[in-house]
Amino acid sequence: MDEVSRLRTMFSRIGAMFRRKKLDRELEDELRAHLEMAAEENRRRGMNTEEARRKAMRDFGGVTQVRETVRMREGVPFVENLRRDGLYALRQMRKSPGFAAVVIITLALGIGANTTVFSIVDAVMLRPLPYAQPQRLVDVESREVNGTYVSGAVCYPDFFDWRAQNHSFEHLVSYHDQSLTLTGVERAVHLDGEVVSWDLLPLLGVQPELGRGFGPEEEKLGTRVVLISHALWASQFGSDPSVMGRTMHLSGEAYTVIGVTPASFRFPVDAPKNDFWTTLAVDNDGTPRTATANRGNHSLAVIGRLKPGVTVAQADAEMKAIAARLAKQYPDTNTRHDSAGVESEIRALLGDTRTLLLVVLGAVVLVLLIACGNVANLLLARAREREREMAMRSALGANRGRIVRQLLVESVTLGVMGGLAGCGLAFLTTPAVLRLIGESVPRAADAGVNLPVLAFALLVSLVSGVLFGLVPAVASARADLLSALKEGGRAETAGGHRLGSAVIVGQVALGIVLTAGAGLLMTSFLKLTHSNEGFNPDHVLTFTFETPDSRYTKTRAEFYRQYFEKLRALPGVQSAGGSMLLPMTDNSGHLSFENPEHPVSKGEQESARVDVVSPEYFHTMQISLVAGRDFSDGDDMQSPQVMIVNQAFAEKYFHGENPLGRKLKPGAGNGTPGGPPWREIVGVVGNIHSSATQREMDPMQYLPASQLSTWCCMYSVVRTEMDPMSLEPEARSIVTSMDRDIPVTDVHAMQDLIGMQLAQPRFAMVLLGAFAGLALVLTVVGLYGVMAYSVARRTREIGVRLALGAQRGTVLQMVLRDAAVLVGVGMAIGITATLASASVLQSMLYGTGSRNPLVLAGVCGVVALAGMVAAYLPALRAAGIDPIRALRAE
Amino acid sequence: MGEDKRDVLQGTLDLMVLKTLETMGPQHGYGIARRIEQISEQALRLNQGTIYPALLRLRQRGWIRADWGTSENGRRARYYTLTKTGKAQIEKETESWERVAATMARFLTVQ
Repeated sequence: MDEVSRLRTMFSRIGAMFRRKKLDRELEDELRAHLEMAAEENRRRGMNTEEARRKAMRDFGGVTQVRETVRMREGVPFVENLRRDGLYALRQMRKSPGFAAVVIITLALGIGANTTVFSIVDAVMLRPLPYAQPQRLVDVESREVNGTYVSGAVCYPDFFDWRAQNHSFEHLVSYHDQSLTLTGVERAVHLDGEVVSWDLLPLLGVQPELGRGFGPEEEKLGTRVVLISHALWASQFGSDPSVMGRTMHLSGEAYTVIGVTPASFRFPVDAPKNDFWTTLAVDNDGTPRTATANRGNHSLAVIGRLKPGVTVAQADAEMKAIAARLAKQYPDTNTRHDSAGVESEIRALLGDTRTLLLVVLGAVVLVLLIACGNVANLLLARAREREREMAMRSALGANRGRIVRQLLVESVTLGVMGGLAGCGLAFLTTPAVLRLIGESVPRAADAGVNLPVLAFALLVSLVSGVLFGLVPAVASARADLLSALKEGGRAETAGGHRLGSAVIVGQVALGIVLTAGAGLLMTSFLKLTHSNEGFNPDHVLTFTFETPDSRYTKTRAEFYRQYFEKLRALPGVQSAGGSMLLPMTDNSGHLSFENPEHPVSKGEQESARVDVVSPEYFHTMQISLVAGRDFSDGDDMQSPQVMIVNQAFAEKYFHGENPLGRKLKPGAGNGTPGGPPWREIVGVVGNIHSSATQREMDPMQYLPASQLSTWCCMYSVVRTEMDPMSLEPEARSIVTSMDRDIPVTDVHAMQDLIGMQLAQPRFAMVLLGAFAGLALVLTVVGLYGVMAYSVARRTREIGVRLALGAQRGTVLQMVLRDAAVLVGVGMAIGITATLASASVLQSMLYGTGSRNPLVLAGVCGVVALAGMVAAYLPALRAAGIDPIRALRAE
Repeated sequence: MGEDKRDVLQGTLDLMVLKTLETMGPQHGYGIARRIEQISEQALRLNQGTIYPALLRLRQRGWIRADWGTSENGRRARYYTLTKTGKAQIEKETESWERVAATMARFLTVQ
């Protein structure tokens, strides 16, 4: 046969795989036509119908054999064999639909949960950042060698020095959030954006869709240029290309539009709604204490692109050296910023979320293992029932490989069907899980059941199919042929029973680990939701708006005074106040302060959390006033400068002595020459949690907004008598009536803000809780199955025992004891594993240790109870066996 | 799917089928089987069914083509036709068969 014929044959065979049905029908037709023609000719020769038909068959030879030979050679034999095994497997499933359904549902739960979680892990952790060569992007932050400076934020002068002195980076870019108001359009719009250094786009390797990026000269004083998002371009400028070079009014200043970013562009990655990017020139007002020249103002994040060949560790070492040098050069400002840290951008972006996702992924893999354990046990039990069938096949000449292959095809078919059902399940559950996550996990919103996720599900199905199929398959192939064929000869498959018990022990152990994890997270979540925040979050409406510097530097204090007056006059409003760094909003600030009783060099000054608030803020939040007085409208620029501290502050810095009347100098300039003023402490308030997941109540200093009119902008907090959200329209209209160019944003009930902050722990708790529940159910079902099967197989033995006078109670106890041994051993292993792996959860827990004995005891109780319930029914059945019938049956 | 010991016989059957189609023109499986039986005059006892794997093999190699048609007494049947490469193949196969036959003959006459 030449090459051409060989190729043609190959193509023909491959083609045939896709036309199986048609080919089968044609072959059937052809063979039938043959036999009919032959019979007809025989009849013409004088035979009767029956004779003619029989002779035709005889002349033809074996019809079935020919059909099978042709079918096999039509396609690729290996595939044909698989197809045949697959069809056989499907037939087996149809024969015992209950068994198939249990297996498929079990697998669907396991694989579906895994697929859902993987789709999120894929979107959040596995997908590279949407920039050129993202593996070379790193986050750089400011640190303190022996200290507690955790925010990592950088100041401009340090950033400029880093940028000038380093040899590790191609580009180093600073950025920080900025909200501005777009005016000069029909209705003023609130925009979120970013203030960046000029080379952001080259650093990311992104080209603008239209126009150009920034140039280095556009960082200079007085420059106002802006890149806008594709979405903003479309919504506010009707995608008009002539917008380039046009002027755009943002918070009262004129900016020149120089470019439009691509529709898919996001920076930072976790701020998909950003609409503009402008240069750091906007942070420079030309005064000596302006942000770009102030080493005390730490508010920047920094991203860098490593030069080719430079490692993260090398860059980290260099930046640490530069920071140490700067600390010697500027001891007043940099003593507490004497180090730096470089880590990969994606790691920095994820932070603790990484641990959370890995824990959830680990948990869901455990669930799958437990599900596979159940299926393996079911198959093992079935394999024992099918011993005779397998032995028969062996006797008829099937070799062991063929039998193992057929059993594997059966289990993989089950696996794939479970996987398909699981994908359907994942499709349904992913949106619900995403709702649960909310915005608490960056990039999670991109998750979906897509091609890589489906590939993962398929892989998981195949692997689990082989996993739970191999054990019974090998056990079957080893089965003793003779004893299996002999009537009533019921030899245990090699170690089959012990295997089943081992699987149960493993399941119980995994179940304990999962349930303990879920129990800890639940305890922690209960602590979080029931903790006293230090204020009353019910019936509080919060929102914010900007009072732009361009128009309000002089009049801001007066504006807010009038505004709060109107707000408090609204029907249904009990009280109202303002806070710049509102609790539960992720806004926070630290401010260093000078304490005359502990004179230290400027660089070593203490710093504490700060908030700038209006009068009646404490009253509105129901933060208790412990001593002294609240701020009042009388605290203005002309009156003595004052401040309020909380109890934690008083305790830490005044050691419990009365702080009223003491003076401190918080490093906050109020626009008067001579720098920050001394402030007298006029009040002490109760401690609060600034965020819902905060472990401690931090020392806080409160400054009156009316004495810091250069500081913008406050959130409004309104305590209402009715549903807080119902007040939204009135609140908006007050602001609009005072200045129609000020849009109100971030309107939320305080309880919803807390809810959003708890999204991540809630997500972890709900998922782990669901997985633990699933694991428990699967384990109970598995244990029940194994015990019931064992009782069924021991019917005869138990019958003999009963006939010889054993008490029914003893039989009941015997079965329960067997189950208790399995559960007990599993439990011991599970507890050991839990204690060993507990520290993994530490960063996710609040208000409980990771080795909480109460939780562990509770979990063991639940598992033990569930195990006994699972064993009780089979035990009852064993005790109810009728010895006469049991003995007669075999 | 290796070729087994019946290769010689298979080759022979293939050539018989090809030759039949060359002389008779398009023909269905039953017709081909009957024709081979008649020509060999019972010397070759062959199950008619065995020509179907042969027909499949020839079709896969592209030497014959199959089309559905209607038989002389109005029955739907699959008709096989020799293709161009099939015709060329007959020459090659005939040649090699004659060579084998001649060699065999020589062996048998030498004695």
